Amino acid sequence: MIVKQPDTITTRSRLGRGGPPSDRPWLWAAVAAAVLALVLGLQRPVAAAPVQAEDFRGTTIVLPQPAQRIVCLIESALSGLYMLGLKDRIVGVPASVYKESLRPYYEALDDRIRSRTLPAPGNWDFINMESIAALKPDLVVLWAHQTEAVEVLERRGFPVFGVFLQRFDDVHREIRALGRLAGVEEKAQTLIGLAMEERQWVRDRVRSSPGANAPSVYFMWAQGDLETSGGTSTVNELIEEAGGRNVFGHLTQEHLVVHWESLLKADPDVIVMWVNETRDPSHVLVDPRWRSVRAVRKGRVHELPDIFTSDLWTLKYPLAVLTVASWLHPDAFVDMDLTARKMSFLEKLYGSSAVARVAARAIAN
Amino acid sequence: MPLRIRQILVFGLPGPLLVVSLFLGPADSIRALEVMQWFGAGLGVADGPENAELVGAIVWDIRIPRIVLTFLVGGSLAASGASLQAVFRNPLVSPYILGLSSGAALGAALAMATARLPVYPSAFFFGMFAVGCSYVLGRVGKTVSSVSLVLSGVIVSGIFTALLTLVQFLTDPFKLQTIVHWTMGNLHNADWKKLRDSWPFLMAGFVGLFLLRWRMNVLALGDQEAWAVGVHPEREKILILIPASLSASASVAAAGVIGMVGLVVPHMVRMMLGPDHRLGIPACFAFGGGFLVLVDDLSRVLTAFELPIGIFTTLVGGPFFIYLLRRSRLGWEA
Amino acid sequence: MKEPGTFPIHDSKIEALRVWRVHFSYNGSPVLRDVNFDVKPGTFSVVLGRNGSGKSTLFRIIVGMLRPQSGTVSVFGRTFHDLSLRERTRLLGFLPQHHHAVFPFAVEDVVLTGRAAWVGLMPKEEDRRAALEAMERLGIGHLRGKPYTALSGGEQQLVLIARVLAQNPRLLLLDEPTSHLDFVNANRLLALVRESLCPHMTVVAILHDPNLAFRHGTHFLFLVDGTIVQLPEKTPPWDRHWLSRVYGMAVETVPYGDRAFVVPR
Repeated sequence: MIVKQPDTITTRSRLGRGGPPSDRPWLWAAVAAAVLALVLGLQRPVAAAPVQAEDFRGTTIVLPQPAQRIVCLIESALSGLYMLGLKDRIVGVPASVYKESLRPYYEALDDRIRSRTLPAPGNWDFINMESIAALKPDLVVLWAHQTEAVEVLERRGFPVFGVFLQRFDDVHREIRALGRLAGVEEKAQTLIGLAMEERQWVRDRVRSSPGANAPSVYFMWAQGDLETSGGTSTVNELIEEAGGRNVFGHLTQEHLVVHWESLLKADPDVIVMWVNETRDPSHVLVDPRWRSVRAVRKGRVHELPDIFTSDLWTLKYPLAVLTVASWLHPDAFVDMDLTARKMSFLEKLYGSSAVARVAARAIAN
Repeated sequence: MPLRIRQILVFGLPGPLLVVSLFLGPADSIRALEVMQWFGAGLGVADGPENAELVGAIVWDIRIPRIVLTFLVGGSLAASGASLQAVFRNPLVSPYILGLSSGAALGAALAMATARLPVYPSAFFFGMFAVGCSYVLGRVGKTVSSVSLVLSGVIVSGIFTALLTLVQFLTDPFKLQTIVHWTMGNLHNADWKKLRDSWPFLMAGFVGLFLLRWRMNVLALGDQEAWAVGVHPEREKILILIPASLSASASVAAAGVIGMVGLVVPHMVRMMLGPDHRLGIPACFAFGGGFLVLVDDLSRVLTAFELPIGIFTTLVGGPFFIYLLRRSRLGWEA
Repeated sequence: MKEPGTFPIHDSKIEALRVWRVHFSYNGSPVLRDVNFDVKPGTFSVVLGRNGSGKSTLFRIIVGMLRPQSGTVSVFGRTFHDLSLRERTRLLGFLPQHHHAVFPFAVEDVVLTGRAAWVGLMPKEEDRRAALEAMERLGIGHLRGKPYTALSGGEQQLVLIARVLAQNPRLLLLDEPTSHLDFVNANRLLALVRESLCPHMTVVAILHDPNLAFRHGTHFLFLVDGTIVQLPEKTPPWDRHWLSRVYGMAVETVPYGDRAFVVPR
């Protein structure tokens, strides 16, 4: 357990500092003007009450005031921050948002990304400590297993929120905690409610489907045909929420490489491919190694359309659930405009139609 | 044990082992009995299993290409290792130690990343280049001592591994995963296509080594001794390095870097059959192939998921090599 | 043992070895200066001289591992540096110094490598026969299955001689073949060389010990400061004054049989 050092808090509690108000009127005016400027100009919360939340390491993060300068090096968490409306408090982003596959979305969310002026001091595998320190963040969001980086940052007095996601509930928990640390807890609750509502809708549809026995599903990551996820994973939950059964759900690993013959023996009804740059369903359908698999013989091989809209580590997860559910139980979604539904859900989450417009093509596929 | 029996063991055991391997698989796969029924049906002496189609797919599409490729890769690495030890008169070297493997891995990775170069020739070129570097850097004046050769090999190997990591880092969004597959070996993607792509190179390398196997005896006695009987040592070394690099680099391009096979198997074979390469090279091929198939059988049967084969070869080969060192029955004198 | 003074003379017109005006310098300092000498076929010639007199360099030039700056070496009438390695090997064999074995090859396999110049990729039955014959001639047939590394120094040297015999060259050069051998083995080896090799083969050996040389050699060459010095006529090689000059120190000779022993004074 890492305990926050008190000096971290005091040096950063500028608003709480200062003696009793003087009787000199110009000073009063100055103070009033400053407060007014804060309220109107910066729209910062007036109250500077300390906030706290527990992260995924079990560490309680205490901030003297809601976070104002956030460096977030996890793309999925960054998406959450934009959903929470914290755009102006983001001072550092993961390098991956500048990659071709994600940039259009973030350009729609933030002009600083369009103009390439928002610093990217690292990613999930590499972190530039100097750059982070130069941004003077009052909250850094990292993966919990980036332990070395976490330690260094905390030693330098930067509060770190460590993330570790294995289930959709973890996503809820992450958004709730980030909302609390930024002083926008209500907004967080609203967003979570949106996601749960959407999930419930899919659940009801699937349940209404005639002949509702769960098809067996093999999920294929992009690294190779044999790379999949076991029972303790958001992938497993994705499959189950969509009304399917993960053929390797009995294995516990979050990510693993299975034996070819175990896969053939498991003989899934449907293959769901993660967004894959090198392989398409058409490749799998003609690959001789796959030919005995029922999903291939029946042509039920699908690939998720793009990384942003298929994300399983953000509140967007109901989109992927809905997509997979429509593959597993096509009867349940007959004559429904799923594209419009997805667009509207995305718009509500981000509070922006610009993102939904960028997503339109991926969603329509 | 008389030599004859040891020969039969070395050359004869791999055959039955390959057959037995056809019946082995992970616990959640088909049962050995089903495989037997399937073969029985194929020979027309029994009824096929209920799930004949699945059994056929697993045996024909998965097990046979994997076992054959594993055998060829193990045999090629061992034969290449034995010839490198002869060429450099150094029982401590192997494709791995001399940087051949990491060079070949870099070559193959570059070819795959750029999609402009042919994979196997590129692996061969870089593998050969890496050995050349080790040899030239290990030279002090006109002689190459065992230790300096091993040291320069370690350094060259390190440099090529770093470059490999760089290539992976720049091209692959899922870097670490793929690097592990390159640096610890990977046989689980073996299929007919991979076998079709690799066997001409693997076999060409082996045929070259097989033809030159007696010349290795001449070279193994030393440079001056080779010169004295009319064999130009430097020219002959290059002549043998070509098929040795071809064998090892094609193995790496097909299955990643699999450590220890090229080092340990030649020692085992020398202990059993003596140092004569006329017998040793084919024996290394048979025994190395059998050894890798056996280790891969363990990895296929024991875990529910795939682990890189290099983990097992190193865990099995490393302690064995240390045991040999301590008993100093390595069949050589430093 | 030959009669005193009656060294065997072969009526072949071609010299087995002719070294002609050879100069060699290493890093600018001369090692060999105008070396001239002939070796008659069928003789056992011994090169004598002190350390640093240039014996080993001369050897390396003759076998072709070094190239002289000027001068030629011809073996049985053929200019040596113009020949391919394989052709050279069939004419000239040599025993390198300080052989260090790494792998425990069987003796027979070591001897068989002597056939490399005659063999394509794999030795044939006739090569194996030549190897066995060579071992028999030196009386080491019983060692053929033993690992070379397990033999004594004397036995190892015999194996390497058998290897050269299997190679079957016309001229054989030995560079200090007795340096690792004890007194008994050294004498046995040289007796064997002369009795079973000469006169079918011409042998030139470098020896440190003049007593071994005088006991077994038929002809003698003296190398002093990088050049061959000519033995004056009517002077036996074991002449006291002559040897004192060659070795640069006073020596005493003790007559023994038809020759003499040399001891430092």
